[in-house]
Amino acid sequence: MMRYGIVLILAIVWLAVSASYTIPNLVLGLIVGALVTFLVREQSGEAPKVRPLAVALLVILFVKELLLSAWKVAKLVLSPRMNLQPGIFSYPLKVSTDFEITLLANLITLTPGTLSVDVSDDRRTLFVHAINCSDIEAARRDIETGFERKILEAFR
Amino acid sequence: MSFDALFLQICGAIALVILSLSFMIVAFRVIVGPSLPDRVLALDTMTVVAIGFIAVAAAITGLVVYADIAIALGLVGFLATVAFARFIIASRQNGDDDTGNEEHVRK
Amino acid sequence: MIETLQNITAGLLLLAGSAFILTATLGLVRLPDLYTRMHAASKAGTVGSCVMLIALVFVPGADGVAGRVAAGVLFFLLTAPVSAHLLAKAAYISGTRLSSSSVADHLKTTYARDEAK
Repeated sequence: MMRYGIVLILAIVWLAVSASYTIPNLVLGLIVGALVTFLVREQSGEAPKVRPLAVALLVILFVKELLLSAWKVAKLVLSPRMNLQPGIFSYPLKVSTDFEITLLANLITLTPGTLSVDVSDDRRTLFVHAINCSDIEAARRDIETGFERKILEAFR
Repeated sequence: MSFDALFLQICGAIALVILSLSFMIVAFRVIVGPSLPDRVLALDTMTVVAIGFIAVAAAITGLVVYADIAIALGLVGFLATVAFARFIIASRQNGDDDTGNEEHVRK
Repeated sequence: MIETLQNITAGLLLLAGSAFILTATLGLVRLPDLYTRMHAASKAGTVGSCVMLIALVFVPGADGVAGRVAAGVLFFLLTAPVSAHLLAKAAYISGTRLSSSSVADHLKTTYARDEAK
């Protein structure tokens, strides 16, 4: 079931990229999508539950945070004196599946002041580099009440 | 040429100047280093600057097919960075570490 | 009228995008160590290239480019954190040190420095 969904998504992407919205092109896109999923056999088991509204909220939050983070980096770089306290802190994960961990790590990387560096072998801890690491507890709380909660709401 | 079309051309010219400046700054980081990951990061950023150049070229000539080239360049740049990162990890594990760094060992 | 607005929006977006790219490269030079530089490159760089691509949507006479730009932007947003994460991990394993102003390093226990060598 998951596989047909992926083929459909790939076909839609194909339509968008080739910018010709015709039936023959859609069929071509479906064929290419089927070929790609045939070549990449290794697939994750079952599809996560998706709540469209929560996903939309997550996307909005993400875009806002992304613009904010680019702005903050710009301000930091242009300020004449940089008083940085960078560091790597560990973050205990509540999300458990590969999909959720990947999503959380990617979101953390594109948000203000944080960059995910590594995941422990047992997948319980995420190591995050922060540009301002003076208050580790606050940084952990930000992730926990922000993205992690939103991800749990969207995909559980 | 109407005023607004001229405005777009001027903005494009200014953007080209800013991007050229960025390109020189990145080139400085590629040359100076000091470590291999620094250079890989700078090359990655160079791809971003090149995407900017292509976008400006597309905007001031009106030939939006250039957008395809920018996206393809982004694809290739991503693959290059991933390949470099894996190379850094692999060269560390084989022991022939030429990254100019002290080594880490997994416990 | 619409064309006027399109031209002006595209021009301003081009300026904004190139400004973000400039700050990313300035960060690459000014910040103290690889990991902090990565912040600048991955965030400001991604936003910069995305904004410059979005500017193309507003160029008059650009038909059918919106879908491609949307796919491109989505692609950049998905790949930028992956390459940043992989490079940061590779750098840490290969022994790139954090700058001396760093206040914490919880990864230290996972990858111990090889003192014997």
